[in-house]
Amino acid sequence: MSAVYALVDCNNFFVSCERLFRPTLEGRPVVVLSSNDGCTVSRSQEAKDLGIPMGAPHFQWREFFKTHGVTAFSANFELYGDISERITNLLASVTPHIEVYSVDESFLDVSELHIADYHAWGQGIRSSILRHVGVPVSVGIAPSKTLAKAANDRAKKLPELGGSLDLTQQGSATDHYLAGLPIQDVWGVGWRLAPKLRAESVHSALDLRQLDVRRAQQLMGIHGRQMVYELNGTACLPFARASKPQQMIMRGRQFGQDTGEVYVIESAVAALAARAAVALRREHQLACRAVVSLKTNRNKPGYQHVSREVRFYTPTADTGTITSQLVRLLQADLPRASYHKADVLLYDFVPERALQTDLLGAVDLETDSRSQRKMRALDAINQLHGKGTVKMAAETLSRAWEPRKKMSSPRYTSSWEELPEVKLLQ
Amino acid sequence: MEPLGETAYAASIDTGTSVAVHTGFPNPAAERQGTPLSLDKLLVRHPSSTYFFRIRGHSWHRYGVFDGDIAVIDRALPPRGRNLTVWWQESGEFALSPLMQADHDIWGTVTAIIHPCGDPSP
Repeated sequence: MSAVYALVDCNNFFVSCERLFRPTLEGRPVVVLSSNDGCTVSRSQEAKDLGIPMGAPHFQWREFFKTHGVTAFSANFELYGDISERITNLLASVTPHIEVYSVDESFLDVSELHIADYHAWGQGIRSSILRHVGVPVSVGIAPSKTLAKAANDRAKKLPELGGSLDLTQQGSATDHYLAGLPIQDVWGVGWRLAPKLRAESVHSALDLRQLDVRRAQQLMGIHGRQMVYELNGTACLPFARASKPQQMIMRGRQFGQDTGEVYVIESAVAALAARAAVALRREHQLACRAVVSLKTNRNKPGYQHVSREVRFYTPTADTGTITSQLVRLLQADLPRASYHKADVLLYDFVPERALQTDLLGAVDLETDSRSQRKMRALDAINQLHGKGTVKMAAETLSRAWEPRKKMSSPRYTSSWEELPEVKLLQ
Repeated sequence: MEPLGETAYAASIDTGTSVAVHTGFPNPAAERQGTPLSLDKLLVRHPSSTYFFRIRGHSWHRYGVFDGDIAVIDRALPPRGRNLTVWWQESGEFALSPLMQADHDIWGTVTAIIHPCGDPSP
C-alpha cells in the first residue's frame, strides 16, 4: 500500500496566536515582528492585502502601520510555543506517526488510518483544532510530502476548499490545482531555482510535475529528480518519526568543600553548563529544556534538594544562553544552605538542522547562525589547545541577551501574573 | 470518526488482587498504590483546550466568586444550559456570565473557579 501523508499547517500562526486572546483583531491587519522588533515574520491576510511583504523592516514601515491601522506585536515565543505544543499533542492523539516539521506545521503519516474521505477528514482536523486550541489550520493530503505541501498551500489560498485538500488521486483534478501553484511556491524550489525553471518555461507546479525527469536532474541534480517524482505522487523524502529519542546530557560535580557562596555555586554551574553544551553540540542537537539542581550532603542533617528548570523557546546549544538562564534562575531564589553537589541536565532535544531550515522566520536566523559559528569556533579552539582555553566571560551572565520586547503581548498561558482577564457581568 | 476524542478523566483505582499481610503492626500506607492525587487532573480534563483567566469584578460575592480568582476555561466543552461561559464583547473585553442566547462570540466554558482563601489575590 502506498503512503498517504497529511500536512497540518497553521495559518499565519503567530498572528493567529495573538488573535486568540484579542478576538477583535479578527478581520483586521496584524503583523508580528521578529526578535528585537526587526522585521515582519507573520502577517494576517489583511496585512498581506495591504502589500506588507514578509521581512518588512519595522523602522521603514512604522508610519505605514500607523496610517493603515496595522496592529504590530513583538514576537511572544512563550505563547507561540505553548499553542504549538497543544496542537502537536492533539495531532499525536490522531496518530503516533507524526513528524513535527516546525513550530507551526506537522506531517502525519495517515496511511494506516483507513480514511474513506480524506477531504472530510482534513476538515474534521481543522475544526477540532479551531475549537480546542483556537487557531485555524489548513490540511493537505497526498501520497508524498511535496504534494502534501502543495495541497496545503492550495487549501490555504482557496477559501472554497474549507481548509482541506485531498490530492491522493493523480488525475486532472490534481493537475488543475497544481496549475494554480506558482513555481516559486513549490516546496524545495525557492528563490534560487525559480528563475532557472522559469527560463525552461516551468511556471507552475504542474509544469514541474510534467517536466522530463532527466531534464530536471540536469537542471537541479538529484534534488530536481526527487521533486518531479514527489509531484507525481511517488514519495522520495523520508518521513522522520517524531519519536523523540529519549536523550539527555547530564554533567555534575561535588564541591571541594560544602558551600553556600553564591559566586562559587554560579561558577560551578556555569562550568557544568559549558561542558554539557559542548556534548550537545557534538551530537548536533539543540536543547529545549535545562535543569540545574543543587544538593546538600545527604549524610548530614537537614538534607536539601533545590532544582530549577528553564525552557528555551528557541532551542539552543549556546553556552552563553544556557549558562546565563540557569544562573539567573538560581540568583532569583536560592535557599540558604551549604551545598555539596551541583548537576546540570539538558534534555528535550531537536536536531540542529531543524532550526536552520524549519523555524525560518521564527528565530532571528542571523543571530542564530552567528551563535552557531561562535560556538563552533569556541569548540575548535578548545579542542586544539585544551579544554577551557576559551570560556564564557562573566559578561555573558548579564541580561544583555534578553531580547527587546516593546510591543509584546502578555505571557497569557505561561505566567500566573499575566493571565488574560475576564470581567464579571451582573 | 472523532479523531480528537476525550482524554480519559478518571482517577485510576487499583483494587490490588493480592495483598500480603505480614505480622506486626500493619503499615497504614501499605495499600496506598498508584499516583498521588493531582489537582491538574481534577481541574484540567483536556490540557490542549484548557486556558486560565483572571477574574475581574466585585459583583458576584454572593455566589462566592471574587476579584482575582482564577477561572478554568475549557474550549472543547460545548456550553449547555446555564453553563458559565467566557465570551467577548465588542469592546474587546472578555466577559463571564451564564450562557446567553447569542452564542457566536463564546470563547469557552468555565469548568472551575479557583479562589485562594485568606491571602487576597493581587
